[in-house]
Amino acid sequence: MEYSNPEIPEGINTTPTHPLKEFFILTVGVIVILVTSLYLLILTIDYFADMIPFSWEEKIPVAQIIADKNTIEPPQYLTRLTEDIVAAMDLPDDMKITLHYSNSDIVNAFATLGGHLVLYRGLLEKIKSEDELAMVIAHEVAHIKYRHPVAAASHGIATTLILSLISTSSDNALGRFMGTTGMLTVMKFSRDFEYEADADAVSLLVKRYGHAQGAVGLFSIFKEEMADSEPVEFLNTHPLTEKRIHKAMSLTGAVTNRTQDKKMKPLPAEFVNWLASQAQVEVEEKTDR
Amino acid sequence: MSDLIIFITLLALGYGFGRYAEKRHYASIRKREMQLRNVPAIASRIPPYGEPNFDSQLVTGNVVISVDYFKRFIANLRNLFGGRVTSYETLLDRARREAILRMKRKANDMGATMVFNIKMETASIHKGQGNNIGSIEVLAYGTALIPN
Repeated sequence: MEYSNPEIPEGINTTPTHPLKEFFILTVGVIVILVTSLYLLILTIDYFADMIPFSWEEKIPVAQIIADKNTIEPPQYLTRLTEDIVAAMDLPDDMKITLHYSNSDIVNAFATLGGHLVLYRGLLEKIKSEDELAMVIAHEVAHIKYRHPVAAASHGIATTLILSLISTSSDNALGRFMGTTGMLTVMKFSRDFEYEADADAVSLLVKRYGHAQGAVGLFSIFKEEMADSEPVEFLNTHPLTEKRIHKAMSLTGAVTNRTQDKKMKPLPAEFVNWLASQAQVEVEEKTDR
Repeated sequence: MSDLIIFITLLALGYGFGRYAEKRHYASIRKREMQLRNVPAIASRIPPYGEPNFDSQLVTGNVVISVDYFKRFIANLRNLFGGRVTSYETLLDRARREAILRMKRKANDMGATMVFNIKMETASIHKGQGNNIGSIEVLAYGTALIPN
């Protein structure tokens, strides 16, 4: 038997495809498939979420969950303003709004399952007029009116479920990557909810005060608050403040231009004093510790 | 946001360093393969010459190469779609050739003219530990024929 020692050509055992090309095709493929299927899934869920009776939501002990040591009885002014706004917003008959006040310096307000609405002192302190306060409350009431909390919860559950089925482990890079993609898809819907709630709140302002300066005022507060921390929009649950202002204004442009007097109604002195005393209470508690 | 930045940085680092290391490794492999062409390695179990004037000796060559973050990510994506895991092909190709080269180097140092009956073993290190960057080990061994 004759033996020879040929030179083996290069690249027999490897594929010459450029790794970046493969990376690009696969990543884009995953994103497109994931986003499309989640989109369809969420649209389906939204269809069914509307059928969940509000009374089911009310059975969840939300009040106990959101209550903490800072939650106290809201002052009469807040309760009455909320009642007035709710009455003006055409909520379904079976929907009840429960207002909570939390004496903490978080600059936020939120609405959640079962018609519960939470206002934090931090946000109330920044607010200078009743118009702005009405904007906050109306915005949150609109979330409840359109059943956004139950839709958002369903989105979250469905997305998590689907992702856990696709990638068995969330501790590797791909699992995390797909998790993030899923989350960003859900956020798109969350931003749409914000616009929907803004629109309703703005029309309430116009109905109540004849103009929507309250929305402008409130958004300016947000803008100051997030001055340099506002990240890229697609990474966020809320639209950029600038865009919200723009959209809210385009909704009411016609109305606001006709009205001459755009002065906002100031907050009652009694309420302002009460807030100041609340801040004092928290400071004392902190120094006690 | 910070998660995304970390992820992209890791991918870029994995790609950059992995690609650089691979390029250098291939260049070195080609160079040494040319140098050791005089020591052929064959898989036949029977010594080719049938002559008794040879001493025989076991030679081994062993290498461990790590997967980079980028390669691993592509391979994970491949797990979803199926198809050739091209990002691991070069990795294994390098490891096999490197193991054979190390084995040949030993044979050459002993004054052997060839290595016959060569075999290879492949093992993955960190197997099944999700988050760990895996490594592969290739062991090549054979019988060196040293003329006496």
